[in-house]
Amino acid sequence: MAVVANELPKVRRSPTNTKIKRDTHSKRLARIGWAFSTPALLFVALVTIFPIGFSLALSLSNVSVTGNGFSLQGFTFSNYYELLNSSTWRYAMEFTVFYTIATVLVELILGTAIALILERLTKGRGPMMALLLLPWSMITVISAELWQYIYEGTYGVLQSMFSAVGLGSPVFLGSPTPAVVSMMVADIWKTTPFVAVIVVAGLVMLPSEVFEAAAVDGASSWTTFWRITFPLLRPTIAIAVLFRILQAFGLFDLPFVLTGGGPGTSTTSLALLSYKVMFQNIDYGPGAAVAVSATLLVIVGSLLFLRVFKAQVGKEELQ
Amino acid sequence: MATIGMERINKVYMNGFHAVHDLSLTVDEGEFMVLVGPSGCGKTTVLRMIAGLEDISSGELRFGEKLVNNLEPKERDIAMVFQNYALYPHMTVAQNIAFSLKLRKMPKGEIRQKVEEAANILGLTEWLDRKPKELSGGQRQRVAMGRALVREPSVFLMDEPLSNLDAKLRVKMRTEVRRIQERLGVATVYVTHDQTEAMTMGDRVAVLKDGALLQVDTPQALYDRPVNQFVGAFIGSPAMNLYQAEMANRGRSLKLGSQVLTLPDTILVARPALSTYSGKQLTVGIRPEDLSARPHLSTSGNTLRCEITLVEALGSELMVHFTIDANLIQVEQVNSQEQDILSDKNEGVARLDPSVPVKAGDKLTLEVKLERLHFFDPTGNAIYD
Ligand SMILES: Nc1ncnc2c1ncn2[C@@H]1O[C@H](COP(=O)(O)OP(=O)(O)OP(=O)(O)O)[C@@H](O)[C@H]1O
Ligand SMILES: [Mg+2]
Repeated sequence: MAVVANELPKVRRSPTNTKIKRDTHSKRLARIGWAFSTPALLFVALVTIFPIGFSLALSLSNVSVTGNGFSLQGFTFSNYYELLNSSTWRYAMEFTVFYTIATVLVELILGTAIALILERLTKGRGPMMALLLLPWSMITVISAELWQYIYEGTYGVLQSMFSAVGLGSPVFLGSPTPAVVSMMVADIWKTTPFVAVIVVAGLVMLPSEVFEAAAVDGASSWTTFWRITFPLLRPTIAIAVLFRILQAFGLFDLPFVLTGGGPGTSTTSLALLSYKVMFQNIDYGPGAAVAVSATLLVIVGSLLFLRVFKAQVGKEELQ
Repeated sequence: MATIGMERINKVYMNGFHAVHDLSLTVDEGEFMVLVGPSGCGKTTVLRMIAGLEDISSGELRFGEKLVNNLEPKERDIAMVFQNYALYPHMTVAQNIAFSLKLRKMPKGEIRQKVEEAANILGLTEWLDRKPKELSGGQRQRVAMGRALVREPSVFLMDEPLSNLDAKLRVKMRTEVRRIQERLGVATVYVTHDQTEAMTMGDRVAVLKDGALLQVDTPQALYDRPVNQFVGAFIGSPAMNLYQAEMANRGRSLKLGSQVLTLPDTILVARPALSTYSGKQLTVGIRPEDLSARPHLSTSGNTLRCEITLVEALGSELMVHFTIDANLIQVEQVNSQEQDILSDKNEGVARLDPSVPVKAGDKLTLEVKLERLHFFDPTGNAIYD
């Protein structure tokens, strides 16, 4: 027996050649994917890459405004130096980051809580969701006007409510911290439903038998949420948060309508700052530099988030 | 440790489907109860009701003395192997198995030891760090099994836990499961489609059909004294051959088509009711293993002449498919499952010694063990008195 075994041709498994290649099937899938998305990507490139590229060019040039437009005169980093030395820019940066983290966090918690309740509603989930989506479906400028009416210092709805119960007349938009908080409340009111709806969609997709197994294993609802629901929802939550980060970093219309960036510069976001510098101060170079810094912030922020969350969307978590 | 008491349990699903009818069944402490029945008969439904995953529409479920109808699954202290595994997709094999132990705040070292022990028994040691989707069906099933086996619950529920394993592993696992169950002394309900599993593992076997319990007894008793045609055909593999027959001669002779079997007095003494069927139709059941080949062609009242249509050689025995001119009776939900494509509707099966030289097309005389015949009245109920 042993002799026979020795005479058999040996199967060589060279240790150097163990790197696993992507199999042809997934390669083909990838090719098909590229083929299908190329037209869309080209379009996206046209409408987004071009403006970004143009801003980049603007931000790296000496721009001088002429009678009928502007002209680029030579390469320079001076716009960025100006930025780094500007406390307004630094504040706008910090404000945007803080605002984004705070609102997204609150929206995520509230949205998930609402989603968990919605998911339990078997009857009436549809109408409830439609109702919930009303704030989200409203154009931001309009909902901002609405909140303006609520916060307004003299005739505002909140004003009269506070004085009706004898709590005096607090300031909402007129001083820095309350203005920031008021704006965040308006934002959370509008976008929490969006997060909730995405999370509901994720929840109903989760395999029910896994929860049965957890129940049999003796998990409480609290443990089930943290050990089962949340980890399985991670890809969904990642998508919701990513969307929200992208939007919140671009915060513009809410401060534009509600506070105009004030009082002082206390609610001036990067996007608003860029707009003001470019179109109110007619300072194209630095304005473009602010815009580029905002773009960088979005990219770095999203990557950082994905890194922290380690969500390999749709790959790892779902069976 | 507790008994499981089911008292007139019914299940009506939301869509109005009545899946379980008046099920009364007691599983004693430490007893291994096997639940068998054709697909869709309600086995999983029964397990899910015991586990608390499905509401009980009416009836009482008790663990020991305690009524548990309204207890949450987590309050029932059960371990369950799900038919569809229900593994946690985001956890590794080790984490899957350890999950319930962690919830019970068992010390880390002890958990690791238990997980390793289970993995060892189940042959999962290599895969402990893998996620479920990186496993084969059989490996996943073993993880599901491991999740239950590390527990020391008061009730074990297993829904076809070995169905996806290869034959060798299945045999090994059968003994392992029984060994662990016996050591823990836990009342167990075990669902299976596998005849051998039911017969070899069960202290008792409960046969379900269309949501109703037909018979519950030890495997041997089920085999020897099925209450009706369905149980007779369902228990035993290959299935019992059922023929339409006519009693004649005050119950002394049995006409199967053109052939006649002469029943000895002992049968009539044991089952006097048979004589009342004289001149009437009934169903006679002959198990494949109660037939043997008779080389010489004399007919002496205990033989049937048949024509062979197919011979399946299994090494240790021959499965000989044959036809006789009597009407074969099909039992719905049994024969439709078991019948392979090759065999004709009217074929009986005999389990013969491989030394018998037979081939398709041959004529053969089969000797019938008359005292092992089964008799069923036209409604399908067995005749024992
Ligand atoms: N949620 C449900 N709603 C309505 N009917 C159901 C539901 N679940 C199961 N049934 C029905 O109840 C019957 C019993 O189902 P069950 O899953 O208990 O069968 P089973 O004996 O486990 O079958 P199998 O051996 O194929 O696993 C089936 O006819 C099935 O169609
Ligand atoms: Mg089932």
